[in-house]
Formats: sequence, structure tokens, C-alpha cells
Amino acid sequence: MTDVITMDHIVKVFPPNVVALNNVSVTFREGEIHAVVGENGAGKTTLMKILYGMQEANSGKIFLKGSQVHFNKPGEAISSGIGMVHQEILLIPEYSVWENVILGVEPTGYFGKIDQQKSRQKVKQQIDEFQFHLDPDARVEEISVAARQKVEILKLLYRNVSFLILDEPTSVLTPQEIPQLFDELRRMRDNGRTIVYISHHLEEVLELSDRITVLRKGSKIDTIESSAATKKSLAQMMVGREVIFESIRKTARTGNIVFDMSGLDYSFPQKRPILQNIQIQVREGEIVGIAGVEGNGQLEVVRIIMGLLKPDHGKIEIQGKDFTHASILERREKISFVSQDRANMGSCLNATISENIIMTHHRLNKRFSKWNGIVLNKSQIRIFSEEVRKSFDIQMDSTEAEIKSLSGGNQQKTILGRELSLDTPFLLLDQPTRGLDVGSIEYVHEHILQMRDDAHAILLLSADLEELFRLSDRILVLHRGKIVANLKTEQTSIEEVGYLMLEGGAQ
Amino acid sequence: MNVIIGLINGMIAAATPILLAALGGTLTYYAGIFNIAMEGMMLSGAFFAVLGSYYFHSWIVGILFGVLGAILIALIFIFFSISLKVDEFVTGVGLNLFAVGLTTYLLRQIFKVKGAFTNPGIVSIPKIHIPLIEDIPVLGKILSGQNLVVYIALIATIFITWLVFKSRFGLRLRAAGYNSTCLDTSGVSSNAIRFRSLILCGILCGFAGSFLSLGYVTLFTENMSAGRGWISLAAVILVSGNPVGIALVSLLFGFADGLGLFLQQSLPSQFTSMVPYVATLMALFVYSIRKKKKEAIS
Ligand SMILES: Nc1ncnc2c1ncn2[C@@H]1O[C@H](COP(=O)(O)OP(=O)(O)OP(=O)(O)O)[C@@H](O)[C@H]1O
Ligand SMILES: [Mg+2]
Repeated sequence: MTDVITMDHIVKVFPPNVVALNNVSVTFREGEIHAVVGENGAGKTTLMKILYGMQEANSGKIFLKGSQVHFNKPGEAISSGIGMVHQEILLIPEYSVWENVILGVEPTGYFGKIDQQKSRQKVKQQIDEFQFHLDPDARVEEISVAARQKVEILKLLYRNVSFLILDEPTSVLTPQEIPQLFDELRRMRDNGRTIVYISHHLEEVLELSDRITVLRKGSKIDTIESSAATKKSLAQMMVGREVIFESIRKTARTGNIVFDMSGLDYSFPQKRPILQNIQIQVREGEIVGIAGVEGNGQLEVVRIIMGLLKPDHGKIEIQGKDFTHASILERREKISFVSQDRANMGSCLNATISENIIMTHHRLNKRFSKWNGIVLNKSQIRIFSEEVRKSFDIQMDSTEAEIKSLSGGNQQKTILGRELSLDTPFLLLDQPTRGLDVGSIEYVHEHILQMRDDAHAILLLSADLEELFRLSDRILVLHRGKIVANLKTEQTSIEEVGYLMLEGGAQ
Repeated sequence: MNVIIGLINGMIAAATPILLAALGGTLTYYAGIFNIAMEGMMLSGAFFAVLGSYYFHSWIVGILFGVLGAILIALIFIFFSISLKVDEFVTGVGLNLFAVGLTTYLLRQIFKVKGAFTNPGIVSIPKIHIPLIEDIPVLGKILSGQNLVVYIALIATIFITWLVFKSRFGLRLRAAGYNSTCLDTSGVSSNAIRFRSLILCGILCGFAGSFLSLGYVTLFTENMSAGRGWISLAAVILVSGNPVGIALVSLLFGFADGLGLFLQQSLPSQFTSMVPYVATLMALFVYSIRKKKKEAIS
């Protein structure tokens, strides 16, 4: 196999002194799927952005098929056959699939008129070739997240890209969609393309990739053959210590009912029922998990609990008090909330890390204000931010930096740190570990279980069934807006829950 | 009958500069620029059009100068908002004030007059008489005999519609407005697209300004754009940039303008000259309500 890309002694320092990459050298071969793994903030995204011309390395060289190259912007990388699908999807929702695909390399006729017929035909042809099952005329805002990701890949294939970089592509996919993506990636590899694949899911990495490069804190640890690795050995290389994957759940000692949602209906717009007669009860010292294929009503349940949607009927009680019509602030006194949408709902990207850490705390906790709440107490804020940073091991330069300068996983840890330290009786966690590395997941899981043992009531939503089984005492299955099963974790299996998620009740 | 024809022709004449400026504004609107400098571009265009026409005794040079004068403002806008990344709103407000100051100063320095400059040496843009159509009863007096710029505005409407929705430039233009990062990572510089949209906007505002000072009337007065740039902004926002919609709204504003003139016989002129600003306020009000509704849905 020939080498396609060699990155040689890459160094990247973010001012003033964050060393994101420290002398990293890595070689990608033709026709391989090459996984890059590492903890949050290890430098995976940065390494790929440098290759793609989105960021400038401080030193180091890049070779394409033996000759040195330097890309100043993504456009140059693309014309050399390198393409990247980003951690966040970058498409124009208002455009159709084919318009998104051709943007930037449009086939044109006279006077720069877009040749619609030719464009559509070429896109259609490519869709068929890779068996993507997409409608070229569909508007991107109307198709699923998985389909959007295919559009991103298609966009690169259309540009004849032979080197594809995918940054955490499965974190937005439902478990059902992942095998399909893998088939597509394998097909592309077998066509002689090279695929670089960043992921935190070690099983996926082992299943899919040919070779794996491990980064830790900006340094390359090693590149190994996948066949020679196990989940445990990979995790150890990543974190530098052993990671325990088994459940550490103690038997539950449950108390009074804390959260009680009953007879809840919701429909949109008025006619189409989305939630029907939802009953959810969570007791002190209990974790209740909700399983379901995305789009079966989870989003609405979460939004109704947080007061962002009004239910048509039904009641929500917390510690015996009616919260159905409570204001957001009243809810926040009782509910800690980790949203799955970390960029919009979970944080304010333009605010600093410490501002993000004290959001909500600053209203609920007297400690953070002086003079009867008129002025914020800076020194307390600093102390508290440092506490959160330490206990959640958030990799950052200073708590006064903007939160968007953090890596994806470290942003998530910041949000978790804020919410889990609110110390409310009820916690609503929606995909709490999305984008976290194995070591951090282990820590967050321990933390959540500790809170359960301290008599908090926890409602957990996760697309990751293993996580649900690891944490939950009971699992509810949501299917087409109805709860079709209420199972004790010990008495069910991933297979049974998976079946219920797809097929609904026992009909 | 003649009164009605006169009213319609008045409406068309009043609508033309608004339409041209708004077509320019629609390009920057799609490119995602909050461009409020049409007023300044138009005013600068009007002044330099008179300058060119007077010194070279040619309306063609007049238009050329007018266009260059408007492009001058566009270039300053580009320098501040794209190169230096100054807030677009602040840049726009500053440039509109600058255009008033600049043209007033030059008027006094070059022509040594205050308030208005009028001279038989200024060559105005001709009216176009179309044979055959000219002879159609009633309609002929509307379809034919308009100022050349009126026809240019008509062609520009069609051309801009095509440009925005059918051409490669249009696809990239709208992409720059919807999500510029996406356009950049697709290999097209969104700043280059913004640059071009502003230059095109300058050209169109140059025509609008030339029409004001060499077509509508043949003279230059201080601050003669008189809020038309703001109205064109309101027109763009009202119809979310749709060029055909802009043409209709411009006619409506033209009608309001004519109405204002008509009302001047009975109302104090201070009130009638408020019409453009009131219309702008109403448009912005409608815009904010629509935006709220949109946000509520998503
Ligand atoms: N624009 C930036 N400014 C300052 N620091 C940055 C910036 N981008 C990244 N960093 C820092 O560089 C380091 C590496 O970040 P990077 O995004 O590459 O991590 P990652 O391996 O992709 O992590 P994750 O798995 O969480 O996405 C982190 O410490 C991060 O805080
Ligand atoms: Mg990353």
C-alpha cells in the first residue's frame, strides 16, 4: 500500500500557551480506514483542520504522495482531493440536496447560468452509485440528520475527493443508521479511497478501521493495526490508565416519588398526536432511562418538562407540587438539565467559560452575588469555576476564555459540571455523554450514580443503549409517542429493548 | 384622462430610483450584509452625475460619474465592514452622514453655490420614444416616452431576478447569506461574494442617483436623495428580497410619494415629507413581527 498523506512533526500552539499538538507525525495510506482516537481535547480535530487548511500549524510539514504541500484554505485542500465532514454539519438548510452538493463547483452554461439538468443528473448518478437513497430535490432542512451527513459525504465525492476526513460522524446518528454508514464507508475504501475516522466509540473504531492512531494530550502515542487492539488496550493507551467498562451500580434504595408526570398528551399542529398519555415517575435514589429511536417523542418530553412546550393535557408534579405551568426559573430550582443541543440550549458560545459555569447558579445561589443580588461576586465565581474545572477535568487554558475555544467534549464537560453541581432533587439528562471520551464517560457515570445514591431522582435519555443499561434502574421504551414498556433493567436485555424500540408493544 | 396618465407617470418616475437602489440592496441582503448605505450611495451618485454631465456636456459621462461616485461609497463600506470588520450598521450610518457632508462640501467648493446647483449646461438623460408603441392610445403615453433609466430599471429587475435565482453567482450569493462558513468550506470565499454584491449595489445606486439629478429633475440639491435609500431598504426587507416584489413595493412607494406631493396642496409639506420615514418604520415593524413568528415556529 502506498502512502498518500504524511504529516510530519506538526506543532500547534493556541495563544497564549495551549499546546494542542506537540510534534505529531502520522502517515495515512491509500485505501485504508484510519481511525484517530484520543481523549477530549487531545487534538484530533485540530490535527485534521490543519491538514484541511482551516488552521495554520506553527511548524511541521505535510506531504501529499511524497511532495510537500501547504493548504491556506479548504478550497485548496479540496482541489488536491482532500475533503472533511465536520463535527457540526455544515450545509445550507434552505437549499435542495443537489444545490448543496454542487455549491462551489457548479456546472454552468452561457453567462454563468447553472445547468440544472446536468447538475441534478450528475448528483443522481452519484447517489445511485453509492446507494445513498437520497432524493436530490429534497430540501436539506426537511431530511433527517443521517441523510444530511450523506449529503456532506456526497458533496466531497462530487468533488472527486479521494481522501475523506470524518469528525465524529456517528455522534449524530441513531444506532440503526450506523451500520449503513459503515457499509458506505467500506465501499468507498474498496474503491481505493482513504478515510480518516475520528470517534470516541471504541467498538465502532475496532469494527471499522484498518489502523488506529492514538493521541493523548497533543502527543501521538502510537499507530497500531486494529486487529492487534482491544477496547481495553485502546482505552489504556488513550487515558494512560485502566478504564473499567463494567457497571458499578449498587442496588437501589428508593424513597418518595420526586418527579411525577401523568396523563400527558401533546399534538402538533393541533391534529397530529406526538405524545399520548405519558406516565413517568421517578423516585428518590432512582435512575429511569428512556429508550427510543430518535423522533419518537423524546424531544417533546424534554421540552415539556423544561416548560418550552405546553402540553395539551396532563400534569407534572415535583415533590408533590404542581409544576405544569411553572415558570422556567421555578423549574430550574428543582431540575438540573443537560440538553442534547449543547451549542444552542446548553451553553452560550460567545460567553466565557466561567460565565457559562455560573449560569442559573447566579440566580439560585446567594453565594455568587453581593449587595442584595445587584452585583456578582467575582471571587466566588472564580473559586467555583476552578472547582468545576478540577472535578470534571476540563482541559482549558483559563476560565476567562470563550467556551467556543474548547474542544467539543470539553464544552460538554463544562455543561455537565454546571448542571450536576446544581444539587436539585430532580435531574433531566438528555444525551449527557455525547462527544465525551471513554475516560470522561467513566467519570461522569460514576458521578451520576453517586448522585443517585445520594437520593436524587434522575431521568436519563440516551441513544446509547449500553449507557442506558449501565445507569438505569428502570427503562421506559418510547415508541410513536407512547410508552410501550416499563422494564426493570435486571429483567430485560439490550435485544429486547432494541426490539421494542423498533416494533413498539407486544402486538 | 390626462390627469390619470400624469399620476401614473409620476408614480413610475418616483418609483424608479427606489427600485434601482432596492435591487442593489437585495443583492447585499441575500449576501447577508446589513447594508443601509444605499442612501449615501445614491446621494453621492446624484452629485457626481451632475458633475460629469456639467463638465463634459454629456449625460453618458454623467451616468458614468454617478456610478463611480456610488461605487466610491461602496468601496469605503467594503473597506470598513469586510476588511476591518467594523459593525455594518455603524459603517452604514457613518457613510450616509459622510455622503451628505461630502456632497454639500463639494457643491460649495466646486460650484460655489449653497443649497442647489442648476445650470443650463447640465445635460439631462433623454427620454426614449419607441416607434409604433408610441402611437397606441393611452398606453402609448405610459409605455413610451419614459426616461432611459426607467427602462434600465425594468431590465435590471429582470436581470437581477435571473442573477439571484438562476446563475452560479446567485447560488453562491444566497449561500453567503444563509451560511457563510458552509460557502467558505465549499471552496468559495464568502468575502469575495460580498465584495461583488456591494459593487453591484453601488452600480445600481449610481443609476438611481443619476436618475434623480439628471432625469427626475436636472439639478443637484443638498441631501437630494431625501430618504429614498431608506425606503429602498424598507422595500427589500418587506418582501424578503424578492426582486419582483420589490418592483411592486417601489411602485407603491412611488404612489405614496405622488400622493404626498398631491397632499401638499392641503397639508403642510413637513407632514407630507414624513411619508418615506413613516413607510420605513411600518416596514420594519412588519419585519420584526414576522421574524418573531418565524422564531416561534422553529
Ligand atoms: N480556537 C481555539 N482557541 C484556543 N484553543 C483551542 C482552539 N481550538 C482548540 N483549542 C484547544 O486545543 C486543544 C485540542 O482541541 P481539539 O478540538 O483538537 O480536541 P479534540 O481531540 O477534537 O477533542 P474532542 O474529542 O473533545 O472533540 C484543546 O485543549 C482545545 O481547548
Ligand atoms: Mg473534536
